[in-house]
Amino acid sequence: MKIAISSEGSNLNAQVGHRFGGSPYLIIADLGTGNFEAVPNPGSLGQHGTGVQTIVLIISKDVKAALTGYCSPAARRHLEANGIEIFTGLSGTVGEVLESYKKGEIQKTEAATIEREPGKRVVNKAILIHAMKRSGNQFASMLPIFLGVVLLIGLLNTFVSRNFLAALFSGNPVLDTLLGAFFGSILAGNAINSYIIGGELLEYGVSLFTVTALIITWVTVGLVQLPVEIAALGRRFALLRNGICFILSIPIAIITVFIVNLVTR
Amino acid sequence: MKGLKTLTRMFIFPVCVLACYGIVCAIEPHKALIAMKTSGNLLLYIALPLVLVFVIMLALNLFVKPAQIVGLFGKGLRIKGIVFSAVAGIISMGPIYVWYPLLKNLREEGAGDGPMAIFLYTRAVKPFLLPVMIAYFGWLYVVILTVLTVFASIATGCFMSVLMKK
Repeated sequence: MKIAISSEGSNLNAQVGHRFGGSPYLIIADLGTGNFEAVPNPGSLGQHGTGVQTIVLIISKDVKAALTGYCSPAARRHLEANGIEIFTGLSGTVGEVLESYKKGEIQKTEAATIEREPGKRVVNKAILIHAMKRSGNQFASMLPIFLGVVLLIGLLNTFVSRNFLAALFSGNPVLDTLLGAFFGSILAGNAINSYIIGGELLEYGVSLFTVTALIITWVTVGLVQLPVEIAALGRRFALLRNGICFILSIPIAIITVFIVNLVTR
Repeated sequence: MKGLKTLTRMFIFPVCVLACYGIVCAIEPHKALIAMKTSGNLLLYIALPLVLVFVIMLALNLFVKPAQIVGLFGKGLRIKGIVFSAVAGIISMGPIYVWYPLLKNLREEGAGDGPMAIFLYTRAVKPFLLPVMIAYFGWLYVVILTVLTVFASIATGCFMSVLMKK
């Protein structure tokens, strides 16, 4: 049995291609003999009609399964109509994906909705359960810190006086906005926490300029994650991006509050 | 080991807060009670928006796959690249460090600095958290901030494209 894996290179150490039709190579692996061949993907040229050539190539190689990062619905339809199974959402090297497939660790991906009757779509039950599990995990992972923030706000409400916060913030929109942007840059975590903290700060009389700058920089500037960003995208990119985002947060906060005041006046 | 690290990162903050409650409870129990009551009221206030958060998260997980998000990325800073990178940033979920390996991979494939910066900026727009944001700040504020955030992301993308070439 032969399978096709979209690839960024011509060997098993190359990364799996993100798009089936647009990857530079297709690795055709024969599971029976263990041999493989790297075929240049006509679809990678991006010219009109080359996507069809990729599909024709796969069918002509007598491939039974196609493994990739993403496969367009149109290509999926043509391939499945020719008895080829599609496995998407894959990443890592071609060799790793090949091994996982041999061990039966890769599940066939299906569309989230399926057509039971003409024109009537229903949600695929297995996909729904998987999505619910995933959402549950994502929700559960943000819950502990979120609850911590809520509990902390209870403490702050009880012990921190309005006078203290009034002293911390000068009342000058530009300076207070800078201070908000600074706090947002050093604090990290789910954005929901910035909304709750921002909302509570407003209750304490802190200006909307400060809160807006805090909300913007909370996600766009990450001093805590800076080392990871540098490692992934390079020092120059990370420093420039964070710097630009910090500077931009000031006018954005001021313009936002200005427009809100203008409309509500 | 990795699981232990993740658990530590998740629980260290709430455990510290609970420890603070313990100290306050020992010194001024009535104030600890007031703080707990305030937190309880806050939780009640955002309970409904949190349910909506879960529903939107579920919808995104059901119909949007990470590979599709990656597929939306543009290589150059043209209109299509700008729009797709912004959309990808808005619908992406989870902590940013989860996305760095994918971004690194994209970069190696030649994705431009502009689209990358736009993606990272528009992550500030969280469709699934909008119910909570609206509950706190109102519709008008959220709409204005969201629109300006998208414009700011494009500005960041343009700046990055120019500055990274130098």
